[in-house]
Formats: sequence, structure tokens, C-alpha cells
Amino acid sequence: MRNNHGMWTALIALSLTVAGCAEVQRAAEDVARQSGNPRLAGAIHGAGNVVGSLLPIGYEEESSIGQAMALQVVARYGGVVDQPELVRYVNLVGRAVADTSDRPDIPYRVAILDHESINAFAVPAGYIFVTRGLLRQIRNEAELAAVLGHEIAHVSEKHILDVIQRSKRLAGVTEAGLSYATSNPAAFKGVIDGAVKKLLDEGLDQEKETDADMVGDVFAARVGYDAEAYVGLLMRLRDLKGDDRALFKTHPNFSARIDAVQKTIRTKHLATTGVVLQERFSRMTKRV
Amino acid sequence: MTHPRSLGVLLIVLWISVCVWGADGWAETVYVQAKTAQIRAGKTSLDAVVGNVKFGESLEIVGRDGSWMEVKTSAGARGWIFAGKTSTSKPSGGNDTLARLGQSMRGGDASATTASAGARGLDKASEGYANRTGVSARDREVVDRMTAYQIPDQEVEEFLREGGLGEYAK
Repeated sequence: MRNNHGMWTALIALSLTVAGCAEVQRAAEDVARQSGNPRLAGAIHGAGNVVGSLLPIGYEEESSIGQAMALQVVARYGGVVDQPELVRYVNLVGRAVADTSDRPDIPYRVAILDHESINAFAVPAGYIFVTRGLLRQIRNEAELAAVLGHEIAHVSEKHILDVIQRSKRLAGVTEAGLSYATSNPAAFKGVIDGAVKKLLDEGLDQEKETDADMVGDVFAARVGYDAEAYVGLLMRLRDLKGDDRALFKTHPNFSARIDAVQKTIRTKHLATTGVVLQERFSRMTKRV
Repeated sequence: MTHPRSLGVLLIVLWISVCVWGADGWAETVYVQAKTAQIRAGKTSLDAVVGNVKFGESLEIVGRDGSWMEVKTSAGARGWIFAGKTSTSKPSGGNDTLARLGQSMRGGDASATTASAGARGLDKASEGYANRTGVSARDREVVDRMTAYQIPDQEVEEFLREGGLGEYAK
């Protein structure tokens, strides 16, 4: 009978927890503890953590993860370009695209990595990186907008957060939210290191990259950039590096990406008469 | 026994009610797909702004013309919005229900942290991570500055205007 009572208490506490009542969960734990049932209190606490770990990551946690991953990206790529006018320009293009993306309600910031490789990255919470090498390959603002659109799509579609969820499970983190970052810093480090390795060394799943290409081109077209511009950039990169070894080593090959973007332009009826803004791009990036 | 004339009046009233409800209930709706957007008196970026709407707000479509839509806001304001700032499906953004639920469980306030007010400095978790992994002061400073980096909305608007982008498209 007592066991049944305990089970129902736990179930009610769990239901309230699922309903988002953290305070009620804590109160139920207190009641169980004060009534001399520490095991039940522990069960309620554990159940709450398990449920919490299965829920999507909230922005507060996303922001901490993004900052920690951004630290690693900057460290691995040897710092950023310190040219205020150029940085402001790429951020303006990023804002223009992000403001009409599917997730415009978080801040996005773009930094230029001082590195000759040709690459771009996004980490959670809107931290976006483009290498100097990639910027040198871009010929107009519409191409830049599509590249930034691709990265913004990774953030808005929460591609990296999916990796983090997996990384958390692999690191054995069952606690809800960010508390593990301070209570178990080794686990937080494990989560970040795993996600950075996936992003920089192994690459995201190819479907996610293709998805980001298509969604990113839609974002750029929404604000008025020529949707075909991205196809032009991808074709030049294919000519430069070939198709067998993708230039972005972590991405699908160029021909597949070009096909996917062209299909998106056709099926979504994206405007190919938008602006490319070559002159403004050349003027603003002449010192790259 | 009901008088036939009364029944007729009742049917007309019912028919009008259905029509009025139907027009409202089946009106086509779009949602604001931009951080903010302006409702203008006419269908060009030169027309006066008659109202501002926010991300996710629903708008009833009254008419269309090229890249512009005539809409009515939930507050009753009527005007034109650039169609590129709308979506036919309700955007979930970063604040979807489950994420909010997760935030609530962690005791945080989602609305306070999703605003682009601009957090400043590394937070405790990432500072701890930087200490454990030996990230240099220079690299911390980079992410610190990046976190605080903001461009005022007016400058973005001016950038769009100069480039003929968004609602300033020619």
C-alpha cells in the first residue's frame, strides 16, 4: 500500500515536472525527504533529470555551448581578422539574411578567421565563422549571403544542437540544463570536445549539409539576393578543387550540392533576378 | 408553431452570420518571418509606416500585388507588408514549446535570454571550459568581443536600402 502511495507520488511529481514546474518538482522532493523517504526524493530528482535531458536544449545552455565551441574554433584557426570595416560589412550581410531566416530572434555574429583554408563554420547560438581563404574565393555579395545563409541554416535548423544532444548522451550527462557544466566540468568539456571534433574534423551528416545549402539559399533569396549566385560559387570551387575530394572536406561533393541547390531554385520558385552587388562587395573586401 | 416570416428572418440572420464568420474564420493567414517588419500605407518602401509587427505575429491577407501583401493585423491595423518578411507556416524559431519547457525546468527565463540585447563577456560555463583547456587570453578576448558585437537595426535598414534589398528592391 505504502509502495503504491509512493509510486503515485512519483508519477504525479513526474507529470508536474513534464509540465515544466521545476519548483513543484523541488517541492515534491522536499516533501518526500521530510516525510522520511529519501529514496522517493532521489527517484523524483532522477526522474526530473532524465526527462530534462530528453528535452530540447534551451537558449541559455545553447549560448554557453556556443561560446565554448567558438573558443575552440578561434584557437584552432589561429585568431581572427581585425579589420573593423570588413567585419562590420560581413556582419551586415549576415544580419540581412538572418533577419528573414526561420530563426531571427537570436543574435548572430560573424567573424573572419585569419586562415588561408577555404571553409566556414557555425556553432550554436549564432556564432558564425568564415575563413579569409573562402572570402577570397567569393566574387559578390549574393555569394557571400548564400554562404552565410548556409551557416545560419545550421543554427536555425539546430543541426549542431542535435550533435550536442548525442554528445551529451555519449558523455553520460543525464542532468537537465546547464548545471552539469559547473557540477561536472569534465563532462561539459567532454560534450564540447566531442561536438568540436564532429564539426571541424569529421563533419556533420551529409544530409544536414545539403539541407543547409538549400535552406540557406532560400534565406538569401528571401532578402532579395540572386538565388543562382550560390550555384556560381559552388561551380567555381568544383573547378578549383575537383569533385572527388570536396573542398569543404566535411561536406558532400560539389556536383551533388549544385544539383540540390538548382532543384531548390526550381521547386521553390526562387528569384534568379535578385541583386548580386558585385561593386559593393569588391569595395568592402578589397583588403582581404 | 413558428410563423413562416419569423423563420425566414431567422434563416437570413443565420446565413449572414455564417458568411461573416466564414469570411473571418477562413481568411488566409500569414506570419511575420522577420525579427521586425513594417506595415506601410502603400506597397512601396517609400510609403509611410503605419505600424510595426514582430516575429511570429499572425496577419490576415486582404490582397496581394507583386512582392507586397495587403494585410490586417490582430490589432486591427491595415496596410502593406513586403511578402519576403512573411511565411504561410507559423515559424517556431528558437523558442518552440519544447525548448521553452526545457528552459522552464532549468529555472531559466527563455524570453530574457533569446532577446538580442547582447550578452557581454564569457559566461561561467565557457570561462571554466577556457580555463580547463588553456585557451589563450587573446582567443578569449575574440569570443568576448564577438559575443558583445551588435549592429543597430537602423544601420541594417540603411544597408538594405543602399543595396536595394528586402522591401527596398527595385
